[in-house]
Amino acid sequence: MSGRVRTRVDRGTGEVVAYSDAAVRNNLAVIEYCRTSMAALSGGTAGLLGLTGLYGFLFFLVAGLVLWLLLLVKAGNRWQRFFVSRQSLLTSGIFSGLFTYILCWTFLYGMVHVY
Amino acid sequence: MAELLLDSDIRIWVFLPIVLITFLCGILRHYVSVLISTQKKVDLTQLQDSQAMIRSRMLRENGKYIPEQSFLMRRHFFNNDESGYLKTVKRASAPQPMTDPNMMVEMLKGQLTNMLPMIAIGGWINWTFSGFVTTKVPFPLTLRFKPMLQRGIELVSLDASWVSSASWYFLNVFGLRSIYTLVLGENNAADQARIMEDQMSGAAMAMPQDPKAAFKAEWEALEIADHKWALKDVECDLLQKAEVDYLVNSQSFVNSS
Repeated sequence: MSGRVRTRVDRGTGEVVAYSDAAVRNNLAVIEYCRTSMAALSGGTAGLLGLTGLYGFLFFLVAGLVLWLLLLVKAGNRWQRFFVSRQSLLTSGIFSGLFTYILCWTFLYGMVHVY
Repeated sequence: MAELLLDSDIRIWVFLPIVLITFLCGILRHYVSVLISTQKKVDLTQLQDSQAMIRSRMLRENGKYIPEQSFLMRRHFFNNDESGYLKTVKRASAPQPMTDPNMMVEMLKGQLTNMLPMIAIGGWINWTFSGFVTTKVPFPLTLRFKPMLQRGIELVSLDASWVSSASWYFLNVFGLRSIYTLVLGENNAADQARIMEDQMSGAAMAMPQDPKAAFKAEWEALEIADHKWALKDVECDLLQKAEVDYLVNSQSFVNSS
């Protein structure tokens, strides 16, 4: 992957911010890994706890939020060096893990509570 | 709706095996496709063309980081009417993928690793584990979902959140997709949808379908590309920053001493 550089104009200060496309993509891939792991783990937890209905989905949202907070803590106050925007970090991929979550949830719920 | 009591043997002999089979088949498919895929042979002119295209695109996107004269020089290399690369190089139009036997073999291999296991395993699971109520999704669903989740058992009075074995298989196929990414890495072959995308984009990347048209488009884009110098005040910025840093450092030095 070529180290292409993209730019964007910062709205607050109006100055041009340059960032490396490949690095940003790599960061997003790492985030995707985190998300999948989080979806699987939280799905398993929800299944073990026996959450049903809306509580399960709420748990999924809470787990996504917690993951976001953890990422922000990890990035510290230099998050601008790693991500383009904080909001999109939260919102962009929050439903990508939903299928995995439902699968793990259903699986462990079935294993523990149905039989 | 009364709770159903399921035999726990179903859990051991139907519910778990389906998960395992689906997962291991995905892994197997990945390794088989790694095994039988051949390295794509690259044509020299094709490579030349695509590299020229990439260079021209980089110039368009990042041209603002080089001085205007350098930008114009590079554009001249590509776009000059007499000697420009995009103007002078003539290529015959690309062969159709259907007539190229290598492409056919490649596509056949892709189909082989994609569709065949999908159909075979699906059919086999349908045949072996048909008619079991395996599990219950932990959230209520409307009646619309009944045909989707209860394939293989036609019971009118059964609540829609119960899942039959065949549907449990399909749930697994879709849900395990991102788990494969976790286990096998980014570009795995376990996921069929991604393979299709790969084939599409791979073909497009290796060779612009018609180099002539692609060159012409690139020429046009480069012709209207405008040079906007992005590092205009960079010296001032740098000096300012250095000054601030220096001040901060000396301040802390004074404080600590």
